[in-house]
Amino acid sequence: MLDSKLVRLGAVAALAVAASFGVQSEVSSAEKTVQIAGFGAKSGVVRSFGINTEAVLNGAIEAINAGGGVKLGDGSMAMLELSFYDDRCNAEEGISVLRRIAGSDAVVAIGPTCSNVAEPLFGILQKTVDDEGDSGLQIPVFTDTAIKGGLAKISQWAFRNVPNENQMYKSLFQWISSEHPDLKTVYGGVEEDFAHSRFTWHKVMKERSPEAGYEVLGESKWLLNDTNFTTQVRQMKKAKADIVAISAHPFTTCGVLKEMKRQRVKPSLLVGLTSSSSMETLQGCSEQAEGIIIPTSFAPVTPAAKAAADAAAKFDGSADLHSAAAWEIVMILKEVMEAQGITADGDSVDADRRKIRDGLANLKETDGLLGKIQRTDEGEAVKPYLYVHAQAGEWAILHDPSQ
Amino acid sequence: MDFFFGLLQIIGVHTLLGLSAYVVLQTGQVTLAQAGFFSIGAYVSAMLTVLAGWHIIPALLVSATLAGIVAGIVGFPALRIKGLMLVVATIAFGEFIRLFWFNFDYQIEKQGISVGPQGGEGFKQIRFFPENGWSTLDVAIFIWVIVALVMLALWWTDRSRAGAVLRAVGEDELAAQSVGINLTAVKVGAFAAGGFIAGIGGAIYAHYTTHIEHLNFGVMLATFAIAYPILGGLRNVFGTLVAVIFIQGILVEGLRFMGDWRNLLFGALIVLAMNIQPRGLIDERSVKLVRGLFTRDRRN
Amino acid sequence: MDWLDFFQSITDGLLFGSIYALIGIGFTLIFGVMHKINLAYGAASIAGAYVSIAVAAYVPLPALVTFLIAAIGSGAIAFLIYLANFRFIPLASPLATLMATVGMLILIDEIVVHATDGMPQPYPALFADIYIEWGDFGLRGDLIFIFVLSLIAMVVLMFMLYRTRLGIATRAVAQQPVAAQLAGISLDRTNALTFVITGLLGGLAGAMIGASVGVLSPLLVVPITVKGLIVCVIGGLGSIPGAIIAGLAVGAFENFFLAFRGVTERDMYVMLLLFVFLVFRPGGIFSRSVARD
Repeated sequence: MLDSKLVRLGAVAALAVAASFGVQSEVSSAEKTVQIAGFGAKSGVVRSFGINTEAVLNGAIEAINAGGGVKLGDGSMAMLELSFYDDRCNAEEGISVLRRIAGSDAVVAIGPTCSNVAEPLFGILQKTVDDEGDSGLQIPVFTDTAIKGGLAKISQWAFRNVPNENQMYKSLFQWISSEHPDLKTVYGGVEEDFAHSRFTWHKVMKERSPEAGYEVLGESKWLLNDTNFTTQVRQMKKAKADIVAISAHPFTTCGVLKEMKRQRVKPSLLVGLTSSSSMETLQGCSEQAEGIIIPTSFAPVTPAAKAAADAAAKFDGSADLHSAAAWEIVMILKEVMEAQGITADGDSVDADRRKIRDGLANLKETDGLLGKIQRTDEGEAVKPYLYVHAQAGEWAILHDPSQ
Repeated sequence: MDFFFGLLQIIGVHTLLGLSAYVVLQTGQVTLAQAGFFSIGAYVSAMLTVLAGWHIIPALLVSATLAGIVAGIVGFPALRIKGLMLVVATIAFGEFIRLFWFNFDYQIEKQGISVGPQGGEGFKQIRFFPENGWSTLDVAIFIWVIVALVMLALWWTDRSRAGAVLRAVGEDELAAQSVGINLTAVKVGAFAAGGFIAGIGGAIYAHYTTHIEHLNFGVMLATFAIAYPILGGLRNVFGTLVAVIFIQGILVEGLRFMGDWRNLLFGALIVLAMNIQPRGLIDERSVKLVRGLFTRDRRN
Repeated sequence: MDWLDFFQSITDGLLFGSIYALIGIGFTLIFGVMHKINLAYGAASIAGAYVSIAVAAYVPLPALVTFLIAAIGSGAIAFLIYLANFRFIPLASPLATLMATVGMLILIDEIVVHATDGMPQPYPALFADIYIEWGDFGLRGDLIFIFVLSLIAMVVLMFMLYRTRLGIATRAVAQQPVAAQLAGISLDRTNALTFVITGLLGGLAGAMIGASVGVLSPLLVVPITVKGLIVCVIGGLGSIPGAIIAGLAVGAFENFFLAFRGVTERDMYVMLLLFVFLVFRPGGIFSRSVARD
């Protein structure tokens, strides 16, 4: 009796494998399409990032297709078509997903969510274009979310449209010092075992704030899944700093803010990590987070940004500082595809990928939702940004440095 | 095709991880330290190829040997404990190794940029394979030659007296001791062999992901190390391989078409598999079943 | 680092350790009765807390009632775990049970992630505004409340185990399953009830964790599972007083190393200490006669 169960289980498994591996995408014959692939974390604690990216991508593609699609090299129009993959925020799975995308007709990959996926992923790409001795993958990867500093220089096939934290925090600290000349000292709090938050404190906030005339009094460290912050906050309290800068993700940011309130640590100003300017922080601790200042590269302030936010909402996601970058990416890709004249006829995938890469590499400036985005030689973006602060459970615009 | 070769690489490395736990499980010890030994292989071999400029093969052997030695050293005190105590003691040791890498910072200047393990930020640019022009297929073949060698060695051990000794210790320590089996040698030997195999797996892992960080080597990875042999069955080495294919091939990659349901099914199918096949996917019954499919007339 | 800091960090650690103790007791009870590990226990505890905020989202509830609902929710989940991972897997395959509970852990975790999109959820606390201070020395009101609540839960549990029929049956099954069966005690029912009781306790612990951190996240599951196992082993398998003392001790040591060696080295020392402890005292704090196996 159990044997038959086993057979049935085997049959189901075999079917599952056949269904997922065997069948390639069946494209309708009449219309030309350009395949693009998105990937990101749609499971685990960072699931919301992948959901938002996918929604924004769908919204952007719908907007382009509604306008007739993308103009190909031969003058015909083609629709964009998206396939989205979950990488579980896991390095091995991310690599596997990228290989899968590389084996499909997709001309470009948009993602991933996590820096710890992006870093190995860029490592398996070819480092220098036309290097015959380098067997790395040759497909352009355009990142919307993974933000840890300096990743795109790993490969010439890697591009990012993520905010430049160095620049944002530099100008933030300068702005604060001009607005509040009485504040002199900074104390840091850092989620020490997570690559992005760690980088942002040690290599960004801690180095940029002295340039604006601040004295760094010290730092408290905690780990990603810590629950008890009494000791760290007591160190913070002793330092009596004017500004407390917290480089941590929403979960521990909230834990620390709650503990600060308990121990009555009241700095004149709070500064937070870019990634914490999301709904998660407000959902977890809007009361304690009141007033925290965070630089961000997205807010629905321009008509274009509002349109992007609405389109994302239509696909059950939200446009925030990370996912809104995916909108810009799709728009940039459309321009590049048209300028480079890709052919998208099935046999030309490699050539199209190369054209898109070259097009992206040559860009010096692109349109963004908040204004012009500069692009660096390393494949990074320098995006316009705003300072937002938490106010009554919402992120409100505090200052627009471009004005 | 590249994707399938890539998947073959992953399956190969996870098979090594599973086999490293398989050896130790044979002696009746449940260990959750394998992720730690795996990380030793990963970090040490990466330092040898990236910082010292070695070829992958000697780097792999040296790092695996080191992992084996550390595992052997753990094996001695672990002799005193068994059961759940051992599970927790090995978690503690595995975590200790992981946290060691978290605190380990060592870089050198190479062509103007500093490379090397960098504490919490990890160790990047371990690009021996692509830099030397190895294609995905080349790497997959390289990995599977090693996996085949390890499986062959274990298969042979299983069938020889050594395998009988291992199983004897696993089934009943007291009885094994009373027929003159040296418990210390067997258990420490199993730990060291397991550490060595985990070290090889880790060394390859570091090179195909090109970037490693301490968070990759946590308790969950250690749990998967023992999950493969338990899920596959301790009857022989192929159980582990079948379980790795089940998890990495079917649950992770094969169920992609299920979208969001994939992750929910992941845990549920493991629970289901253990209820249906408590002695592993490859047990006496399933072996007989498969055999029956091919030798039907003889059974009639 | 002066004496005040030393005293303060140890005190904080002890208070927080009461939560570890609650989780450790759950592991130890199940092990005591069934001689098996339920690795999904920590996940069920946190899931119970999630159940309570799901209910509280529809009906506004006082914090104390929320905690109770967490306990009940986790008790129900624990019963499901018993059915899915223990009831039908033969006793002779302890590894299969172990693995099945790992699958269950992953499943519960992923259900929570799907329900909340992984976003941290605020959790109500009691006495969170109270902070008792003597000069530079301070105590968190909510942690004192949690400490006291944990002690009450433990006393109730001990009373139940030693003074009620159910408790006596549980202990009988733990000591001599066959004899207990001959005496007319149903193994299945006793085992299932043990699971429910540990589930209730775990749900309470999950709620306490939520209350003390102020936020619930699936990130909590793996750390408390590991901490619970550690506590249960240090205390001596099956020993409830041992688990209590071990829980407090782990909390204290953790905070001690945090204050004196920093967070990056904290767990490294705790793990090393644990390994050494287990090697030299494999039976835990209250080791009974060595040859129980």
